[in-house]
Amino acid sequence: MKGSADQAPVLAVLDLQAHFRTRYFGVHREVRAVDGVNFDVRRNEIYGLAGESSSGKTTLVKTIAGLLKPPLEMVGGSARFSFLPEWDALGRAPQEVVRRIRWRHLSYIMQGSMNVLNPLRRIRYSFRDFAWRHLGGSKSEFDTRAADHLERVKLDPSVLAAYPHELSGGMRQRVTIALATICKPEFIIADEPTTALDVVVQKDVLGMIRTIQREIGSSMLFITHDMGVHAALTDRLGIMYAGRLVEDGDTADIFAEPLHPYTRHLIASLPRIGDVRQREGLEGTPPNLAAPPPGCRFHPRCPLAMPVCATTVPAMIETRPGHRVACHAVNPGAAA
Amino acid sequence: MLATLRDLLRYNVEFRIGLALVSVVLVMAGLSFVAPYPPGEVYVVPPDLPPSSVYWLGTTSRGQDVFWQLTFAIRNTLSFGIMVALLSRIIALMVGLLAGYSGGWVDRLLMSINDTFIIIPLFPILILFYFVLRDTMSTPLLATIMACLGWAYDARLIRSVALSLKTREFTQTSIFSGMKTREILAREHLPYVMPIVFSTTMNNMNWSIGIEVTLAVLGFTDINTPTIGGMIYWANQHTALVAGIWWWIAFPVGLVVMTFVGLFLLAVSMNEYIDPRSRLARMGGSR
Repeated sequence: MKGSADQAPVLAVLDLQAHFRTRYFGVHREVRAVDGVNFDVRRNEIYGLAGESSSGKTTLVKTIAGLLKPPLEMVGGSARFSFLPEWDALGRAPQEVVRRIRWRHLSYIMQGSMNVLNPLRRIRYSFRDFAWRHLGGSKSEFDTRAADHLERVKLDPSVLAAYPHELSGGMRQRVTIALATICKPEFIIADEPTTALDVVVQKDVLGMIRTIQREIGSSMLFITHDMGVHAALTDRLGIMYAGRLVEDGDTADIFAEPLHPYTRHLIASLPRIGDVRQREGLEGTPPNLAAPPPGCRFHPRCPLAMPVCATTVPAMIETRPGHRVACHAVNPGAAA
Repeated sequence: MLATLRDLLRYNVEFRIGLALVSVVLVMAGLSFVAPYPPGEVYVVPPDLPPSSVYWLGTTSRGQDVFWQLTFAIRNTLSFGIMVALLSRIIALMVGLLAGYSGGWVDRLLMSINDTFIIIPLFPILILFYFVLRDTMSTPLLATIMACLGWAYDARLIRSVALSLKTREFTQTSIFSGMKTREILAREHLPYVMPIVFSTTMNNMNWSIGIEVTLAVLGFTDINTPTIGGMIYWANQHTALVAGIWWWIAFPVGLVVMTFVGLFLLAVSMNEYIDPRSRLARMGGSR
């Protein structure tokens, strides 16, 4: 069930900029972890964010979720949720509004979410701590609801009485998914929720995430560096490189015909059954975001680099319907 | 909890000895409720009798039965220790958890107060309090003063744990789900530091009993309330050792030593329960 393009997006991110700013002993450093990102997440879809480590994926979603702690600052742009039209970013809304929105309308499955559960508290109390205030009702009503919801992720209600260490990794992961979805939020952010699991459990958990997301009809922003997971789960996909979005579109389109040279390398690096050729690695390393290269940030490593790439930032252009890319080689003469 | 106690009893010699010693002390304190003589009365029994089958631990020069006097004394001394420990635990928990969790200027402010209390010379201050308050000085008041002076080390210990808890994912998720600071500290972080609190409670009781005995022996407390230190004070006043009334001093000292050793052993074995590495060390695994 894909969201249709004419619907208003649940999340509209416009030219979002978030920098890490530090001032120590008079030295001012500014790391541009997220620098001018634009994308929409539509109702009922799973939008994937891909990119290597330190490409700014987590910083981006933290900014969207309003988890801004110094030195991270939201410098410009907006990230507007459809359920919070009066504020242009959660990070700019007052504390009471944020407290009302989070978990009820926007939940977050954290990176390393295996450790989301307090090891000294039974699962029942974790549920009460996180979700009860948002749902209201009596304690016994809430416990019944939690038990019912656990059944959706195929867990026995007796899990409620267990301590986290008594559960396996996959079970704990399913508990955190149940925790994040019990309030039926409109928007779920999942930051590498399955990275710590082995592939068999991962497949189960991914299927479960998909089923629940459809059942409660929420949108999801799903982050992982694992392109295989993106191919299996997401409806649309955004590729990040060095704090910028370089390409986004339908996941199937991107896998069928990647336009940006970075995306092409990412997809070419996936193993194929029966293929025994040695994969070619990309030369060089991701740039230092405190002093990023001018122009296109990918140009020092790009096999198609032209003189214009070193001077002008390429604009994000809708090259095909629903498929945008920021590359001078694909869109000649398009400067941002 | 019960299984833990059973395992500690079965495998831990320190715990067994500590529990036995503390039990004896507790039974003594409990017996004060059935004492035949009121604690404040003097010359209720013939003075200066050595231990015998009638007066088990002898009698004092003030005409008090040492055994029954001792039951009141240990009860007051123990409840003093517990009072100080409880009050100072509350302060230490609040300061430690809040400082560690909040960080920034809250942490700096609380820790500078904390460090001030650590370096304050305790004994002269307590004597000063006695001279200022003198007539109004009572056991609860002294306990409050001691609690206000005795929380600082443990607050630092608790803060060090809270510093690490602050960065764990479950804390982040708690914040994200909209829990207030008070709720996070009470529900998510408090269970983590409770074992440390238990262990330090015993040491804090030892510390406060030690100070109380010292002050009482020197006469810097309310000497009309029978305590271990108070008994030794009266024995000294009556030059018991010179007069050969050794039982008046020996039994209170013996009992307070039992209390110390018992509580210390309990604290040590509790530490073993908290820290798996000391369990490994016992098995020779840490070398």
